[in-house]
Amino acid sequence: MLTWSTHLLTEYFTAVNAAEDEETAIASAVELATEMVGAEMGAVVREGRVLGAYGFGGMVPEAGLLAIAAGESLLDMPHRGELHAVANPLGGENADALIVCRSDDAFGPEERQMLQGMAQVLGLALRSIRVLAAERHLRAEKERQATTAQTRQRLVESLLTIQRAISARRPLPEILDAVTGGAAELLHCDATVALLLAEGGPDRRLSVASTCGGTEGGPMYEAAARAAMTGGAVLIHPDGADTVIAAPVRVTGEMAGSLVAQLPGGADQYAEQRDQLAAFAQQVSLALTDARTVEAVREAHHDPVTGLPNRALFLKILNRVLASRGTENDPTSVLFIDLDRFKAVNDSLGHEAGDQLLALVARRLRSCVRASDTTARLGGDEFAALLHDSPVESATVVGGRIVAAIKEPFRVAGREVFIGASVGIATSRQPVERSQALLDNADVAMYRAKKEGPGRVLVYEPYMHTEALDHLSLRGDLQRALREGEFRLQYQPLIRLTDGAPTGVEALIRWHSPTRGFVSPVDFIPIAEEFGLIVDIGQWVLETSAAQVARWRREFPDLGLNVNVSGHQLVHPRFADNVMRALAIAGLPSSAVTLELTESVLMSEPDLGKAALHVLRGLGVQLSIDDFGTGYSSLAYLRELPVDELKIDRAFIARAELTGEDLALVRTIVELAQILGLRTVAEGIENAAQLSALRRLGCAYGQGYHLCRPTDPGDLPARLARALVTHPRT
Amino acid sequence: MQTNPHRWFGAGQSSAADAAKAGAEAAAEAIGGRPAKAVFVFCSVAYDLPELLAAVRAEAGPEAAIVGTTTMGELGNAGMTVGGLAVAALGGDGFTVHVRAAAIDPHDPRAAGAEAAEALRGLHDPNRVLILLCDGMADRPNDIVRGAYSAIGAAWPMVGGFGADDRHFERTFQFCGAPNGDFGGDFGGDDVLTGSVVGLALGSDGPIGIGMAHGWRRTEPPMIVTQSKGAHVYRLDDEPALDVLLRRNHFDGTADEFFERGRALQPLGLSRRNGEDIRVIHAGDDEERSVWGTADVPQGALVWLMEADRQALLDGATWSCTEAIARLDGLAPLGVLAFDCGGRRAGLVEGGMQEEIDAMRTALSDAPFAGFYTTGEIARVRGASGLHHLTLVTLALA
Repeated sequence: MLTWSTHLLTEYFTAVNAAEDEETAIASAVELATEMVGAEMGAVVREGRVLGAYGFGGMVPEAGLLAIAAGESLLDMPHRGELHAVANPLGGENADALIVCRSDDAFGPEERQMLQGMAQVLGLALRSIRVLAAERHLRAEKERQATTAQTRQRLVESLLTIQRAISARRPLPEILDAVTGGAAELLHCDATVALLLAEGGPDRRLSVASTCGGTEGGPMYEAAARAAMTGGAVLIHPDGADTVIAAPVRVTGEMAGSLVAQLPGGADQYAEQRDQLAAFAQQVSLALTDARTVEAVREAHHDPVTGLPNRALFLKILNRVLASRGTENDPTSVLFIDLDRFKAVNDSLGHEAGDQLLALVARRLRSCVRASDTTARLGGDEFAALLHDSPVESATVVGGRIVAAIKEPFRVAGREVFIGASVGIATSRQPVERSQALLDNADVAMYRAKKEGPGRVLVYEPYMHTEALDHLSLRGDLQRALREGEFRLQYQPLIRLTDGAPTGVEALIRWHSPTRGFVSPVDFIPIAEEFGLIVDIGQWVLETSAAQVARWRREFPDLGLNVNVSGHQLVHPRFADNVMRALAIAGLPSSAVTLELTESVLMSEPDLGKAALHVLRGLGVQLSIDDFGTGYSSLAYLRELPVDELKIDRAFIARAELTGEDLALVRTIVELAQILGLRTVAEGIENAAQLSALRRLGCAYGQGYHLCRPTDPGDLPARLARALVTHPRT
Repeated sequence: MQTNPHRWFGAGQSSAADAAKAGAEAAAEAIGGRPAKAVFVFCSVAYDLPELLAAVRAEAGPEAAIVGTTTMGELGNAGMTVGGLAVAALGGDGFTVHVRAAAIDPHDPRAAGAEAAEALRGLHDPNRVLILLCDGMADRPNDIVRGAYSAIGAAWPMVGGFGADDRHFERTFQFCGAPNGDFGGDFGGDDVLTGSVVGLALGSDGPIGIGMAHGWRRTEPPMIVTQSKGAHVYRLDDEPALDVLLRRNHFDGTADEFFERGRALQPLGLSRRNGEDIRVIHAGDDEERSVWGTADVPQGALVWLMEADRQALLDGATWSCTEAIARLDGLAPLGVLAFDCGGRRAGLVEGGMQEEIDAMRTALSDAPFAGFYTTGEIARVRGASGLHHLTLVTLALA
């Protein structure tokens, strides 16, 4: 049953909460509270001061009120005698209180309760007014920096909202809606924003993950998204009367989609918005990555895909085993197992198939070890095994067993899949061994094993550590190099030997590392290949050089481009797409481009390589075999591939004065090429004698310091022009 | 008219059409040639007010303070008048009178109340009361009263009323004339003011009794004022307010029809510890489906529709008078000022008003009384709330 006191609460709340400043809030609260309980007087004591005194008629008994705030219950007033008084805390830290004083009855429990509630409401209202006032003050002071700071603040707030949603494990659709909503709000009142994300699987279809502002996505958005994802950077362009801005989004470093915004009006007013969307997309990338890793962080200790213990549990077990060794010299071995070519399989068959494969791998691993040993999945395609009471020799045997087992085909998604494994072994040597250190050593040994070739088992030796350190830091440096733009391209012209005319340029990558200085491609390309960075680096080279040569073709039509391509790029499922996209963006016809492949690389992944090459050849791109004549070459294989050109390894003309044997070898290659209808390019021409000899042998093109050194792009056009002049037809 | 050699209170009425005549008649009856200290003039807006005041002043003499207001009716021992005049006067030993007038700033109505309350300053009598006569068209009557209260505090009671203009609801007038031409506030001479608050502080060495009662009762169920602004009520229990009132009264028609047909007032009672605080709703808007009244109906408040039957109202009137007399410490009343809500007519139709006056006369044992029908009553004796509606407030002097 409602009592009179509860009736008053809504009225009181409404009045106090409507107040915009502290004084009004206090005055309203005191008056209403006083009237409502039928008291004669009221006041607020706040931070030791009496405020909003009401009903005292100008003679405010401050001391008396402070005493009431401190706990007294009677107030002595001239002409009134004693009044019943009650102090109700505002809820802050101090003894702040709302006080009412009444002459007739003392305050009953129901009234006290209501007054308590009223006081709390006032306290809340005052605190929130103070916060608002502080903010307003701050804003007023920073009026000049208003726009940027405001935008930044709004951006920060928007991102905090998203971050909160992620931390609170809100469902992903909700988070994505916060993303598009936040972006739309930030950019413009009439902006529409869509977030398109690429699905897994080989074709990576784009689907609309979230929209804001009344758009449903559509072809324009998709096109913009793809363009941004291809370019890897935010782009802004007009779309009819409107402007479209698209900023790519990456998850765990991989291109995952794009934010696309459409704003009314011309693009020239939206420079700030472009930066905003880019910043937003960047932060969103981090947030989404975070979200994915948050999902991945398991409270449980077991990896859900394989059912094996995860890294955390593995280390715990390792700790326990190490601690409970019978004697301090009991050997405990840790195997670090890395799968070869897992990533390629994952990419081509999809993540679900990849997960199935991992589960199968886990089963096989377990069957290679004793029941009392522990196997674990450390993450990605890395596994570990803990062999207690196992000296190096037995551990090596187990390692070999594992490699052999993983080499056997796996049946996944209805097909047979072949992968491999590299194993690193570290055995406890010291009485006190740290589990993480032991695992790290095994890791280092594994890296070394991988470097030496697939399917190796290697035991850790201390010297490996130094190498590995450098190895690992080189990886980091390479990653950073791409991000920070530390790579440069130089170009070396290919010269037609008959008339000395430049017919094309070869793009050569150069790296000036701020920490390492100049690093030769010979040193860093293999590392890049090993760590899977070659795909991104190679793509960068392709895109940059294509754009550059397209520009030069205005002055030198028919100028071709030779680009080196790593076998790792070739077997990447989207390689052909990437190439065509780069050319399309650069505006370079495919017939102007020749991809140079090292012969050795083609041999290791024949099927995948062939498929990609056929596709590219079909689209007009030319293919060249680099360093031809060295290593293992299969003539029949050569017939099968759509190759247009052979580059004769410089080793054949390395001697300053060419011997008869040298010449014979070169002639063989040239004749071979002629039979097959292939061009020949001689590399490393360093003097006139070599040049004239090669010409006589019928070699069509040449490259070398004698003809033209690798040149910076700024200087190249002049060189090209000169080359045309100084090598007249002979 | 009771005679007391040392102090006196008198009341008079007139229905004469002519201002001067009416003024002279009523004042003569009230004052009877005695030296007056305070004269209260309650009259119809139809009169030529300066003329009327002049006539009263002529009877009262220069030493008297004259205050008053236009009304929506007058009352006294002779009965109720509309379009007439009622005058009360007092004088003799042991009375001190100060007056003060203040213009109401619509943005800060409290200030006017506070200033009028300054009239109390300088009084040293053991018993004091502030009598306030305010413009009936004032936007925020609550704030005027709060302003006065914040200045005086709980030490002394307040009584009074908000004037009217014979139900035109256009413009009301207040009168303030200081003794000997001494002016309180910015006004000099006998002024006819508008948009003002006039305060008369009365000090007495005899007890002062104040009574108030209304006689209305709640009808269940209560409603929450879900949306309102000041005196304008938009939604009750989240429904358009007009719809709610029409439905509760089983009435089908326009707002005008509803408020015309004798249900001129919808009393809404705000729950308070010491009984309801009543607000009067007297008009509505068919388009907006909203209603409004004379004083603010706070958003979030829990309210009841009130009803009354004649007997309850009459009982209320009796009670008010009885209460006032009871506080005179056993002394017989010299006289009574009455502030009666014009809205009570709604429940006192068909001769009920006369019955009320009869009841008052009986309760007051035929002591002289005069007063007017208000658009709002002021009475603060206990607690902090001072504004009332549909109430009879009586001030008894001994």
